[in-house]
Order: sequence, then C-alpha cells, then structure tokens
Amino acid sequence: MSYSKMSLAKPVMRGLLGKRLRFHLPIAFALSLMAAAAFKFGVTEPRKRAYADFYKNYDATKEFNNMREAGIFESVRPTGK
Amino acid sequence: MVRERRDLYSLPDAPLASRCYSHSKVETDEEFDARWVTYFSKPDIDAWELKKGMNTLIGYDLVPEPKIVDSALRACRRLNDLASAIRILEAVKDKSGPHKDIYPYLIQELKPTLTELGISTPEELGMDKL
Repeated sequence: MSYSKMSLAKPVMRGLLGKRLRFHLPIAFALSLMAAAAFKFGVTEPRKRAYADFYKNYDATKEFNNMREAGIFESVRPTGK
Repeated sequence: MVRERRDLYSLPDAPLASRCYSHSKVETDEEFDARWVTYFSKPDIDAWELKKGMNTLIGYDLVPEPKIVDSALRACRRLNDLASAIRILEAVKDKSGPHKDIYPYLIQELKPTLTELGISTPEELGMDKL
C-alpha cells in the first residue's frame, strides 16, 4: 500500500452532542434568563410604576365631572342643560 | 408474513450505554462496540433486524466505530442490499455533524472492506452533492 499522505488519526467519535449541550445549554439558559430580566426591569416594572403613579392621587369623581362637562356622555348631560 | 411481536430482548439495546448515573452497571465502550459487532455478525440476520439495528444505533450520541460499520456492511452483503450499505455510509457522515474529520477517518478505516465488498461511497457516486 502506498502512503501518499499520513493516515488520519482517530478522532473523538462519542459523546459529541453531550459535549455540545454541556457547553451551549448553560449559555442558552443564562441568555434567556437575562432576556427575561431585561424585559421585566426595562418594560414591565416601569409600566407598572407609571400606572401606580397615575392612579396614586387619582380622583375618579373629579375626572368624571370633567368628562361630563366635556359632553362625551349620553347618559348624563353637562350640568346646566 | 406478519411479525406479531418482535423479540426486542435480542437487540443489543443499550439503555445502559454511554452515561448512566443510576446504580445499574455501566457498560464500557468496548463492550458496547462488541455487542453491536456481534449483532450485525449474525449469519442469518434479516432485513428487519438490519434496519432496526441501524436505526437504534443511529439514535445514540456517537458515531459508530469502524468495526461496527464494517459488521453492518457485511450484513448488507449477506442480504444483497447495496442500497442500505451506501445509506449506512451517508448516515455515519450525517452523524458526524459539524466534525468534518470523522467521516474521512471512517472511510480510511473501511477502505479495505469497501473494496472487498465492492461498495462505492456516496462521493464516488456523486450522491453527496445536492
């Protein structure tokens, strides 16, 4: 048999997927958790705060009367009509 | 002919293969390989057993050793199944995934067998291109 090039060494043939998962799964989980945390603290918490701040000193009756005077209701007319 | 109940206990199925952290005995790589070589070496292996064996083998997280592939190719020869022989070569190439060094090594180790049995590789047939 003629050796035109060195014969190939035996590569690793077992556990290739396991190795890949052991490497990539923790990263995948970490990135997913970071994405969830970023969304929570970047979007949902500010949104919840905005709503809480809006309604903290909200006077429903005053707002209702403003709307009534603006004439947007059908069930109650502005005072004076 | 109806196969009512295949005796799956004769399969070298290996729920214990590779990594098993339960308290059952762990099989070594050599024992695993030997079982599969024996499986395909059955002189009167039939087409179903060949296909079942290959499908089970391909399900594992490993690329079969050259000696296992050799045994499977010889089983194909006994069954006059050239198509399956070439398919087996395609399958082990696919199992290698991104590791491009495995398939050339396998072909290198299997070259004598491929020549002896007259099996062409998918590459020689131009079947590796889309």
